[in-house]
Amino acid sequence: MSNPVITTERAAEVEARAPKRRRSPGMPWARYLAGKLAAAVVSFAVTLVIGFVLFNMMPSDPVRTMTRGRPVSESQLAHLRVQLGLDKPLWLRFLDFVNDTLHGHLGYSWEYQRSVASLTLSHIGPTLLLMGTSFAISVVIGLWLGQRSGWRAGSVFDRITSSTSLTLWSVPTFWLGMILLMVCSVGIGPIHGFLPAGGMSDPSLPQTGFTHYVDVARHLVLPALTMVLVTYAQYVTIMRSSIIEEKGSPYLLTARAKGLRDAHVRRGHALPNAMLPSVTMIFMHLGMLISGAVTVEAVYSWPGLGDLTYEALKIPDLPLLQGTFIVFSASVIIMNLLADLAYRFLDPRVRAQ
Amino acid sequence: MTAVEDTAATAPTSTLRVRGPRAVLAFAIACAMCLLGLTGSAAAASPSRASPASVSPASASPATASTRSAAGKTLRVAMDSSGVDTLNPFVSYFNGSLDLFGAIYPTLTVIEKNGKPGPYLATSWSLSKDHRTWTFKIRPGLKWSDGKPLTAADAAWTFHLIMTNDVAATANGTLVSHFESVSAPNPTTLVITTNQPQADLTYVSVPIYGIPIVPEHIWKSHVKGLKSYQNDSFPVVGYGPWTLTGYKTDQYATLDANKSFVFGAPKYGHLIERLYKTSDSAVAALRSGQLDYISGVNATEFTSLRRTSGVHTVQAAGNGWNGLELNPGARTRGGKPIGTGNPALKDPVLRRAIALSIDKKTLVGKVLDGYGTVGQGYLPPAWSQWVWKPPPGQEQKYDPHKANQLLDKAGYRRGRGGIRVDPKNGKPLVLRLGIHSDESEDAAFAPYIAGWLGDIGIKVVIHPMSMSALNSDLGKGDWDMLIDAWTSGPDPTYMLGIQSCTTLPNEQGTGGNTDSFFCDPRYEKLFGQQQSQFDPEQRARIVGKMQKILYDADVDIMFYNKRQKIATSSKVTGMNTGTPDAQGFYPAQSSFWSYLDAAPTAQRHYSAGGIGLWFGIAAAVIVLGAGAAIIRHRAGVDDRE
Repeated sequence: MSNPVITTERAAEVEARAPKRRRSPGMPWARYLAGKLAAAVVSFAVTLVIGFVLFNMMPSDPVRTMTRGRPVSESQLAHLRVQLGLDKPLWLRFLDFVNDTLHGHLGYSWEYQRSVASLTLSHIGPTLLLMGTSFAISVVIGLWLGQRSGWRAGSVFDRITSSTSLTLWSVPTFWLGMILLMVCSVGIGPIHGFLPAGGMSDPSLPQTGFTHYVDVARHLVLPALTMVLVTYAQYVTIMRSSIIEEKGSPYLLTARAKGLRDAHVRRGHALPNAMLPSVTMIFMHLGMLISGAVTVEAVYSWPGLGDLTYEALKIPDLPLLQGTFIVFSASVIIMNLLADLAYRFLDPRVRAQ
Repeated sequence: MTAVEDTAATAPTSTLRVRGPRAVLAFAIACAMCLLGLTGSAAAASPSRASPASVSPASASPATASTRSAAGKTLRVAMDSSGVDTLNPFVSYFNGSLDLFGAIYPTLTVIEKNGKPGPYLATSWSLSKDHRTWTFKIRPGLKWSDGKPLTAADAAWTFHLIMTNDVAATANGTLVSHFESVSAPNPTTLVITTNQPQADLTYVSVPIYGIPIVPEHIWKSHVKGLKSYQNDSFPVVGYGPWTLTGYKTDQYATLDANKSFVFGAPKYGHLIERLYKTSDSAVAALRSGQLDYISGVNATEFTSLRRTSGVHTVQAAGNGWNGLELNPGARTRGGKPIGTGNPALKDPVLRRAIALSIDKKTLVGKVLDGYGTVGQGYLPPAWSQWVWKPPPGQEQKYDPHKANQLLDKAGYRRGRGGIRVDPKNGKPLVLRLGIHSDESEDAAFAPYIAGWLGDIGIKVVIHPMSMSALNSDLGKGDWDMLIDAWTSGPDPTYMLGIQSCTTLPNEQGTGGNTDSFFCDPRYEKLFGQQQSQFDPEQRARIVGKMQKILYDADVDIMFYNKRQKIATSSKVTGMNTGTPDAQGFYPAQSSFWSYLDAAPTAQRHYSAGGIGLWFGIAAAVIVLGAGAAIIRHRAGVDDRE
């Protein structure tokens, strides 16, 4: 007697559970989202603490460095220390920092005498333009070359593509930037310079309208080209290895058996499955776009956030460093969160977990 | 799996249809973009002159890029690499800003081409018998750039604000620290009373190094929020050879000439100061004709530029020194020892031996490529009135043999590995050498110094540090030897002051702004004397004695005085002021005079035709060709399918 009852109960349980999963797929999704959001918040809090501790523990004397070479008396130096809050104990400065951050205040730059938010905003445009352009070109070129190379691994095309991209990946960015600057801006031998040596625009030209856009585009060519050349190898390598991994999969045999052409099999079947690692990398890099590229921005005097951070580090301008650190951290964490969410759409296995 | 396959199976058809055209179009756009770059530069680089035969080497090069709009009327110079921190002169420290303030705001006096103060806003000045009251006659009839009169009241208001407002005193408070009162009894008279005789008063308000005078009618409404006032309403109201018409943070400043400037209008109509983050990119811009003037080129680049056609190079007296500081025993003002400095360096014999072991000539040759002079006096050659040299026979020449003899005699015996031992505590002589991690010169010095000190039995441990970390260690006395460099303005008071006992830290070991923990009562007495000595020659003599004390103390060992290395486009003339000496070296140069005196060598007319036009046509043909290919491709899609 008991057995049938138990069986019935179990069956009822199973029944009750099964339809639930089918009927309300939003619950796991919401839980998944909540979990990821919570993790993001915790990550952000931890990075804030790490950032503050790192920058404040750094041996430095911002006041002496900032006033170096200027006739400042001891009392002026002392006054400046008070003005900048450097006379306060570390824990109090940390509380101020947390309080400001929670209220959305990024602080006030010691060096530029401006709010960190306005400085970040004025530098974020150039950074996104440079990094966004080079990122898009790197992704397109890298993925295209990677899937072609991987599909015909060992071919001449593969060998040339892989070796070229890895060589450029290994080249120091600063050095490559200088070489391109010499060739394309100054000119070497019969090659005459044809691109600007630095900056984002020519101040002697109008700063609005079509002429300005063309001028900015010309200034963008060299820094973007440098960035593309030193970064596209990552996408080539990841895509190539993913495609090679997928090549032996049985579903490709099925696709071929259906009579599909080789290019169809690659693009329509192998490529979508091989994209997952690349998607992860793309999102990771998307998060880091905002931090700019210090070296490239320095070589080409590109007024971006990377360069701003480097300038802040010299003093060190702690509010500016902390402010940009918050922006960079938030950007990476948000992009990672988006990557996690995108995975649920792209990969059925993640949905099944 | 099935769903995926189904989707995938249908996808290729559409992909196939557009793949070819997309690739063609992308390629065409890429080509067009490249040509866009070529077009822009080529258009700018194609001067059409009346007489092609007269094209100079400089103009024949493609380097004339982007001079189109300048048309010989815009002077393009490299901004000091420190850039502009803020356009508010009351709180600004960076050299890029100070250069701009020198160009757009007036000062009481100006450092003339001989390096001494001369009339600017003040046409003349007199001093009371007690040497405490200065009366300046202010030039009448001057107007700010907005047309309002510029009078003595503006100067009085500026000085008074700095004297009474902590924020206003941020950058220049020290310069008015001895001011007791300032007044403007009438528009052409300014009276300054000091609380003690102050010999350097005519240096207090000079372009770049001193206090810029601002228009009261603009600034008085910003006193309340002075710290955050950005001063970025363009054109900025001021008076100087130039008017600031625009500024883009970390990019450039644009200025227009003041046609009614008191020393004559600038020869150029416009001035652009561009910020290049590296010297290499500034030099590239000069070589390619995108820039007209750079001051402060490094030695390697300078050697290369000397051989470049279309570029004129000049060396001028430098306003700084590079050297080695030895910690003579860090202590507070009350004499309490602080820090972790090696106590052996308190011994003047050891410091002298170190000084004798350094071959300064080699450093000038190897590190500077010869573009400098061996350092002796503490004050740089740019300000000739303060230059001091050791009397004949008293020079500290490179002499490792004598250095070894001195150490042997003082009881520093050689121990294990040839390293000498401190006779006072029996410890081996191991000294830390702090260098700036971002200074290539420091990196070049370090192995030489380590080698030379090794020759006399001292082991050197090199510590590369950021400038900020180095400054932090310096203040706390946590150092043995540091590579240091200073530049100085025309008045030596501040430079001499940082060697004064009064700049040592307080008893808590904090505060102070000493440069090397030097403290000598003889020096202290002379420092006070030079401040109140109004006869320039007498003052120079006292300053010389102070430099002799420093030279003999071996706390600041001068390596060299770098010459200022300047590169100018040959399209510009008149930028170098003064008369070169027998070796062709100019006196110290100032951006104030250089930009004012610069003149274009010839007028040119540029057109967007020539090569640029052809590149443009080629770009159009490629894009049109790609478009035609796409249309043809699409027309045949159905047949192919």
